[in-house]
Amino acid sequence: MTGASPKGILETRDLRKVFGGVHAVDGVDFVLKEGELRCLIGPNGAGKSTFFKLVTGQIQPSDGQIFFDGHEVSAHASHEIARLGVGIKNQKPDVFDGLSARENLWLAAQFAHDKAGARRQVEEVIERLQLGGFVHRLVGELAHGQRQWVEIGMVMAREPRLILLDEPSAGMGQEERVRTAELLKELNRTTTIVVVEHDMQFIKRIADIVTVFHRGKVLREAKVDVVLSDPEVRDVYLGRTEVA
Amino acid sequence: MQRLFSDFRRPSGQRPGAIWWSFIAVATVVVFALPQVLDLAQLLDLSVVFVLALLALSMSFLWGYVGILSFGQTAFFGLGGYVYAVAAMNWGDTTLPFLLGILVPLAFAALLGVFMVYGKISDIYFSVMTLVITLILNKAMRATSGDQYVIGDVRLNGQNGIPGVPPLQVPWNPTVTLFIDHVYYLSAALIVLVYVGLRLLLTTSFGRVLVGIRENERRIELLGYDARRYKFAAFALSGGVAGLSGTMFAIWGNFVAPEMFGLGQAAEVIIWVIVGGKSTLIGPIVGTGIIQYLTSWLGTQGVGQVTLVLGVVLVVFVLLFKEGLVPTLGSLIARLFGGRRKQGEAE
Repeated sequence: MTGASPKGILETRDLRKVFGGVHAVDGVDFVLKEGELRCLIGPNGAGKSTFFKLVTGQIQPSDGQIFFDGHEVSAHASHEIARLGVGIKNQKPDVFDGLSARENLWLAAQFAHDKAGARRQVEEVIERLQLGGFVHRLVGELAHGQRQWVEIGMVMAREPRLILLDEPSAGMGQEERVRTAELLKELNRTTTIVVVEHDMQFIKRIADIVTVFHRGKVLREAKVDVVLSDPEVRDVYLGRTEVA
Repeated sequence: MQRLFSDFRRPSGQRPGAIWWSFIAVATVVVFALPQVLDLAQLLDLSVVFVLALLALSMSFLWGYVGILSFGQTAFFGLGGYVYAVAAMNWGDTTLPFLLGILVPLAFAALLGVFMVYGKISDIYFSVMTLVITLILNKAMRATSGDQYVIGDVRLNGQNGIPGVPPLQVPWNPTVTLFIDHVYYLSAALIVLVYVGLRLLLTTSFGRVLVGIRENERRIELLGYDARRYKFAAFALSGGVAGLSGTMFAIWGNFVAPEMFGLGQAAEVIIWVIVGGKSTLIGPIVGTGIIQYLTSWLGTQGVGQVTLVLGVVLVVFVLLFKEGLVPTLGSLIARLFGGRRKQGEAE
């Protein structure tokens, strides 16, 4: 470890990822305090999902450092980072399609708990997320929104300290979005959460601090109202001006 | 009914139900009753189907459940046979050689697994390397015809192989050796036990993770499991099962030869597994039976190009029955009897 001791539960320093000359993440300094519910916004291709993949070890950084809970995890494999207490729901449903919803949850729960604990945890998640109606069906046969719920349930079943959710409300109806927002606020009482979202209503409902990504860099980081009324941010979203 | 069908299509980590157990009971009774109606020659033919089905099981377990296509199961198959042959001929006793015929290939697979699984070799290179390893062993064994290639008192004999491999003795009474019908019973018991054992393994925590790797390895890693550890263990286990198959093959034929490691043998295993259906464990057993009987039937019909016919069979199955025979039939029956309900509803 080099430099000052890490701040917050998650910190990245000058984090970079280059794909064939494209700087998907380009020098991101990011600090997340324990207990926060942070939203990441930005246009498509801004580097949000790549940032999540770097933090969870799904891809390795080209340069820079990542710290989780005081440990440098820049070169860790994804299972090692998961064991430290990081859970992620990827942008596209990333589940076990050939297994039932219950089996999906069980696989998640059995890693973190003993047999009785895992069983309890699975039942609790099913009840909390109201998955009872389709818990015995193969996940590959479920609607997009239901698969998202199953994936969120899998992340919850492990009880991680930090949860990263990449577009959790995508493909959900209005009612489900409200439910998801309520669920995230409830989860946030015990867990630190980072959410990538495009739906501004959803963001307003849950967020306190919002970080805006643009072209692999952090463009703004402030309270939600401040960010959303920032003309530069609005321009980036609407694509009217080039931001250096 | 659905559980039975799920075991014939794509078994998950759920415990098999009463219907599956009934199927096992009926199949066991039938298999053990057959010696009453079959003659010794027929028993001999059926024994080798069971023995080779163990080899097919070792491949489908790895390919169907962990997603690793190991062309080199024949390396462990041949190694098992040679270890048993050499040890039994040297020591006179056969119990320890029988166990070594399983353990040595298992250890060899574990050693290879350390390099290949932990070396993060991609799946395609894994397949190629396992094929190369079995071909190297084939070549090496062929080159042992000189007098200097002796282990203890046993000459390896190069491409002529080692004849006169001792029959298996009863462990508690070494003066009694197994005759053709006894070998049949042992092969039948082993195929049932290994099949049931591997199927039940899927219901354990370890097995459920293997199923998870088959479905989505990235998600398994993101849940905190080290997929490499599970792949390594599965590879070693499949090496042990292939070794058991090779050992039984040596006992069945009283003979081992470098062909056990050969390309022809390696390709045949793939045909058995593809025809039967790699997503199930019962499929490869059925596939082995069908192809073995087809091969000998073609032989009796005077068809010269048996290999060519087998190639056509493989192409037809790959094009028309992508899932293989058993999963295709399983899906068909499930659709006829179970409407649109799927395996997950069985619980």
